[in-house]
Amino acid sequence: MKTRIYLLPLWLRLWHWSNAVLIIVLAVTGASLHFADSTLVPLSFATAAQIHDLVGMSLAGLYVFFVIANAVTGNWWQYIPKPPGIMARSLKVTRYYAYGIMRGERDPHEPTPDTNFNDMQASAYLVVMYLMMPVVVITGLIFMFPQTAPDRLFGFDGLFPIAVLHYVIGAAVVLFAILHVYLGTLGHTATSQYKTMITGWHEGDLPSGRTSSRRAR
Amino acid sequence: MHAGRSFATAILPLVLALTPSAPAHAQSTVALDPAKLAEIRESNAKCFACHSADGLKSPPRQDMDFDKLKSLLHDPALYETSSHGRVECRTCHGVGSTTFPHGATLKAQVSPCSECHAAKVYRIETQFEASVHAKTQKDKFTCWSCHDGHVYNIAAKIGTPAKIVAQDNAMCLDCHNSDLQFSKFAPVGKRRPTIDTIHAWLPNTKSHWGSVRCVECHTPAGRSFSHEILDKSKAEKNCVSCHSRESSLRTRLYRHLVSAEEEKFGFVNSIFLSQSYVIGASRNPWIDWSVGAAAALLAVGMLTHALLRIGAALWRRRERRPP
Repeated sequence: MKTRIYLLPLWLRLWHWSNAVLIIVLAVTGASLHFADSTLVPLSFATAAQIHDLVGMSLAGLYVFFVIANAVTGNWWQYIPKPPGIMARSLKVTRYYAYGIMRGERDPHEPTPDTNFNDMQASAYLVVMYLMMPVVVITGLIFMFPQTAPDRLFGFDGLFPIAVLHYVIGAAVVLFAILHVYLGTLGHTATSQYKTMITGWHEGDLPSGRTSSRRAR
Repeated sequence: MHAGRSFATAILPLVLALTPSAPAHAQSTVALDPAKLAEIRESNAKCFACHSADGLKSPPRQDMDFDKLKSLLHDPALYETSSHGRVECRTCHGVGSTTFPHGATLKAQVSPCSECHAAKVYRIETQFEASVHAKTQKDKFTCWSCHDGHVYNIAAKIGTPAKIVAQDNAMCLDCHNSDLQFSKFAPVGKRRPTIDTIHAWLPNTKSHWGSVRCVECHTPAGRSFSHEILDKSKAEKNCVSCHSRESSLRTRLYRHLVSAEEEKFGFVNSIFLSQSYVIGASRNPWIDWSVGAAAALLAVGMLTHALLRIGAALWRRRERRPP
């Protein structure tokens, strides 16, 4: 049944796009700092440092907002993979991404307000948003206030493991974000998921004849 | 050390410890004969009997000018651990210092630094001539203006960068963070710029001051340290000179440690890791390559998938077209 459901509330969309902008700025400035001696970096070191500090603090604040808003609205539940049948459903989605989409099949997972993410998305977003992001935010804050880092760790300056973790996990978040942009084109049409993330409305087929856009929970 | 003394003749006590070919009485890295060491300590103890806080508290004699003595006190423990710690006081202060009363001209008879450190003084003097300190305050400046030979330690002896930074920055801040001291050297009417204000452009200013010396930026880059102190118009403002793989910190703050550097976990400039993580300089090529490889794989994967999708869509469209 063709239907149009209101899937993403305004706060979530605003958070998503703000988060996207901040991560892009942090990726560009972060690369300008780490690869400071490269001719490819777009910003001077001092400029990049000042912007990275400011935007990093903003991201830390936005992340706290995300966690609180998710807890208050119950949206956190979307991030929890729900057994049983995770493996079977994930295989179905994998098959679709690898093969079905080429044949013009429909996405086996139809988003509903209760289950917005497919199982692979839920697992990936859980790791990124509740494991990697806190690591990047906390190590970034320690980096900004280095006096909070341990004095020594494994015979090195205490900031060393913090800095390496910040770089590696930060890079992983950025790579995921790039993949995320591409995966966003894998909806019913190449732009349908982008439209949903802008308007909040999802156009598609609801399973089991459900047409309600209201949350069941 | 009076103001009129030339730079070269004033530098003796400081440079005493810096010249490898210094005379026998200069600081040596070779273990000193215990008997000789005891002799030096015994000789210096006679001076510290008066010229120390304890000496002032319990003076061995009462016929001294105690007000004057108050301004001539030294810390025996600090002296002992300083670069001049194995040098007898009388080496610089002359034999006149061993008798009391010392005589009115004793201070003027202090040996010049060049007496022990001639070669170094010759080199440093040229650098100093080009220094901002020589522009308007040439006659007022001596080695002792910055380096107190009673406590000063050369960087190689200190070893730990944080301690080198603390000692060396204190020398600059003694004047540049004190209106009173600054006014003793600055031209009449020149106001002391506030350190925080003039360094406001430098990100994480406080972290820098705890981790590197003022002279890392306020001296010209080169193979060895220079005494040509640069003012703000010439000082290093290019962050990348330190924050890069070819970091100039290798020839500055860390130059004494670089020779002992070992590749730790494959990091470039791994010697810095013992003290701090320097963004842009503390780099592990393996991690950088791994991140680059992951990005390349991702790009190739996405591109392949996208091309296959587009090709499949075109194929389906052609299939649907009526013959």
